[in-house]
Amino acid sequence: MSERIETLQEIVERDQVWPRMAAKWGVENPVPPWKTSLDGLCDALDHASCDADVPDFKERRDEEDVLSATVYSTLPYPENQLVSLAHSLVARGIIDEAELKQRLARVRDRLEA
Amino acid sequence: MTGHDHDHDHDRTVKPMVDEVTDFEVLEIALRELCIEKGIFTAEDHRRMTEFAEQIGPTPAAHLVAKAWVDPEFKKLALAEPMTASKEVGVDWMEPTGWGTPSDFTAFQILADTPTLHNVIVCALCSCYPRPILGNSPEWYRTPNYRRRLVRWPRQVLAEFGLYLPDEISIHVQDSNQKHRFMVMALQPEGTEDWTEDQLMEIITRDVLIGVALPKAGVTTNVITDTRPAIHPGAAG
Repeated sequence: MSERIETLQEIVERDQVWPRMAAKWGVENPVPPWKTSLDGLCDALDHASCDADVPDFKERRDEEDVLSATVYSTLPYPENQLVSLAHSLVARGIIDEAELKQRLARVRDRLEA
Repeated sequence: MTGHDHDHDHDRTVKPMVDEVTDFEVLEIALRELCIEKGIFTAEDHRRMTEFAEQIGPTPAAHLVAKAWVDPEFKKLALAEPMTASKEVGVDWMEPTGWGTPSDFTAFQILADTPTLHNVIVCALCSCYPRPILGNSPEWYRTPNYRRRLVRWPRQVLAEFGLYLPDEISIHVQDSNQKHRFMVMALQPEGTEDWTEDQLMEIITRDVLIGVALPKAGVTTNVITDTRPAIHPGAAG
C-alpha cells in the first residue's frame, strides 16, 4: 500500500495545494471548491462498498491515515485525503494507473479548452 | 444603462477566484468519472451525496442547544428523543436516502454537561462525527493525534484547546462508534439568562458542540489548532 505511485507523485511535486493557490489568487475560502464533491465521492463509495469490490469506510480511513502520515505527509488536508483515496483505489487495482494518467490528461484538456 | 438598479452588492459578487486549473481538481473529477464508468456508483448517487455535503453545517446543532437552554420541555425531548428534537431544528437523520447516509449512522445521543461533568467527543477508530446536524468535522478531529491522545489524556488535550477544567469537574470522553453519533450540550453560561435563542446560537460554536470549548459571552469563533503528527509516546523519548 505504501509503494509510491508515479502519477500521484507528480501531482505532489507540482504542489498546487489550496493554501498556495488561494494565496496566489487572493482567495479567502478555507477549503478548495472540489472538497464537497470529494465528500460526495467518499459517501458514494461507502454506499457502494457492500456490493462492489471497493474499500469500506473503515479501510478507506485507515489507509488515508497511514498514507497521510507517510507517502503524502507533505500535503495539507484535504489534498492528502484526495490523493490517499486515489492511491487506495490504484493500489487495490480498482483503477489502473495508466488509465488514471490518461484520464487526468483528458480532464485537464477539457477544463482548459 | 444604469447597471446599478438591482439590489446586489458588486463588492461581494466579484470576489477573486483561482483562475487556474489545479491538479487536485482534475484528480477529483478523474476519479469520480472512472468510478461512474466502472459502475461502482452512479452520477445520481454522487450528485445526491454532494448536495448533502453542501448543505450541512453546525447551525442546526447550535439551534438545538439554544432552544434547549430556553425551553426545559424541549431539553427533555432533546435528551430523550434526539432524532425527534433534530427534526424540530430542520434535520432529518434519515436524509438524503431514507436511511441516512452510508457514513452517518442514524443513532444519535446528546450528552448534557452538569456542574461536575464535562463531555467531549472523539472517534478513536476513524472520524465518525454527527455530520447531519454538525457538518463536516474539523481537520484536527480527524487526526490520529487527537484521537489517540484525547482518550488517554483528556484534561491535557483540552488544555491545548485553551479549555482548563478544574479537577473537581470530571471529564467524560465519548467515543463515537460505527453505530452511534454524539454531540455535547454544554451548560448555559451565567449572564446569558435573558438572551434570545438567536443570541445564544452565536456562542454555541462547533468547538462547544464537540466539547473542546465552553460557551462564553463574546466568544463566537472556534479555536484554530495546528494539527500534529501522530508520534508514538514511546518513540518520543
